Amino acid sequence: MARTLLAIAVIAALSLTACGGPSTSPSADALVAAAPVAASIVPGTTMEKIRKRGYLIVGGSLDAPLLSQQNPVTEQIEGLDADFGRLLATYILGKPAVEVRSAASETREALLANGTVDVILQTYSITPKRATQVAFAGPYYNSGLVIATRKDQTGIGEPEDLNGKTVIAGANTPAIPAIEKAAPGAKILTFGSAPECLQALRQGRGEAYVQDEAVLLDSVRRTPTIVIQGKPFTSDPYGIGIKHGDAQFKQFVNEWLRTIQASGLWAKTWKNSIGTVVAGDAPPPPAIGSAPGSE
Amino acid sequence: MEILIEHLGDFGDGLLLTVELAALALVGALVIGVLVAALRVSPVPVLRAAGTAYVQILQNVPLLVWLVLAVFALPDIGVLADLFTTSAVVLALYQGAYMAEAVRSGINAVPVGQGEAARALGLTFSQSLLNVVLPQALRTVVQPLGTLAIMTIMNTAMAAAVGVVELTATANRVNLAEAQPIWIFVSAGLLYMALSVVVGLVTGATERKAAILR
Repeated sequence: MARTLLAIAVIAALSLTACGGPSTSPSADALVAAAPVAASIVPGTTMEKIRKRGYLIVGGSLDAPLLSQQNPVTEQIEGLDADFGRLLATYILGKPAVEVRSAASETREALLANGTVDVILQTYSITPKRATQVAFAGPYYNSGLVIATRKDQTGIGEPEDLNGKTVIAGANTPAIPAIEKAAPGAKILTFGSAPECLQALRQGRGEAYVQDEAVLLDSVRRTPTIVIQGKPFTSDPYGIGIKHGDAQFKQFVNEWLRTIQASGLWAKTWKNSIGTVVAGDAPPPPAIGSAPGSE
Repeated sequence: MEILIEHLGDFGDGLLLTVELAALALVGALVIGVLVAALRVSPVPVLRAAGTAYVQILQNVPLLVWLVLAVFALPDIGVLADLFTTSAVVLALYQGAYMAEAVRSGINAVPVGQGEAARALGLTFSQSLLNVVLPQALRTVVQPLGTLAIMTIMNTAMAAAVGVVELTATANRVNLAEAQPIWIFVSAGLLYMALSVVVGLVTGATERKAAILR
């Protein structure tokens, strides 16, 4: 009985840590109102298929803070990736009709190849290896990984300091190969979600936690015992995944990205999500086709 | 295909960890299973209730929940063990509940006359359980125990969710680098199948050897 009670108490505690903190204000409607709509759509293309269907199917996450996270109260999906999904839908359809299908890092290539989703918007880092199986439009955002530690931890400032340490990272995130490259002597410990990683760092299962800067900034704001050490040590270009070989659609999406970059809508979208935790103006958007694998 | 050869070492490490985890959990589960089954058939009501409570509580909460609780909640009350140890203990405790039920069904299959005869000979409860009832009981449940052993192997994949880099987590990591999910996960699946085939063969041989002709 004591065991069950403990279990209930612990579940409650865990869910509190997971859901705590303020939610970002959904000014997504304002973004959509300012979004451009494509002048014409060539018949027989993927864009026409989407327009006939009436909504865009996006493969994404529902649990990535600041990027694509479903608000449990409004059920609206909020964040950078989610906003870009709505803007792309508006460009094709004239309205932000998006259906998000939950994708996982293991299934993204297959979901695109068999046509389950039209695009993947899910912190999908562009790599030449992945580009042999999917086409990447973009990059639409450049992210970087940073190191977080507990406040009392000393001697970790640079990625090389991670050698010989136990480092926590999210399972299936670009942090794993990045740590292996920067500190081959580090022992990597992975957990499924960001709250789990934070909890593990707090409890001392590892000395450091490597995660995307924007996501970590948000976590650190909520967890006073954790601090960020140093500056981002990688540059991760996120691309929009498209079915391999669909050059027309890729060109179309790239045109849309160029349009919103030029009009300043890109910067507004950044402000609406990542800009809520990063101080200052939006960074310059990445040049389309600049990442190896996105040419 | 060359991806698999390139990552042969990774898969080997993952497979080894899966086997270690399954072996430790199985041994633990078997011991717990026999103990809890003994509790459930004991003449003392308090012990019987304890055995029933153990089985009910362990079986009625999903394994993943137990793992997450053990890994993330126990450190908050000062119990911090490494992930492999935690997972092995949780798996053993969880599978122990199922083992207990299998062993108990074996005990129920032993004819009442055997226990009565043992008592008539003046054996105590533990003597009759250890020397008369359990040896016959375990022989009748070799096949169900084998099935539970396979279930234990498959359940080790849950440990991937709490950071143990066994076979499933290895497949995830290799796929993250190579982006070839179908080949990578089919290979992992084949390795799991190979493990269960081995267990199946061992179970079959054991059953033929241990069978009681009645």
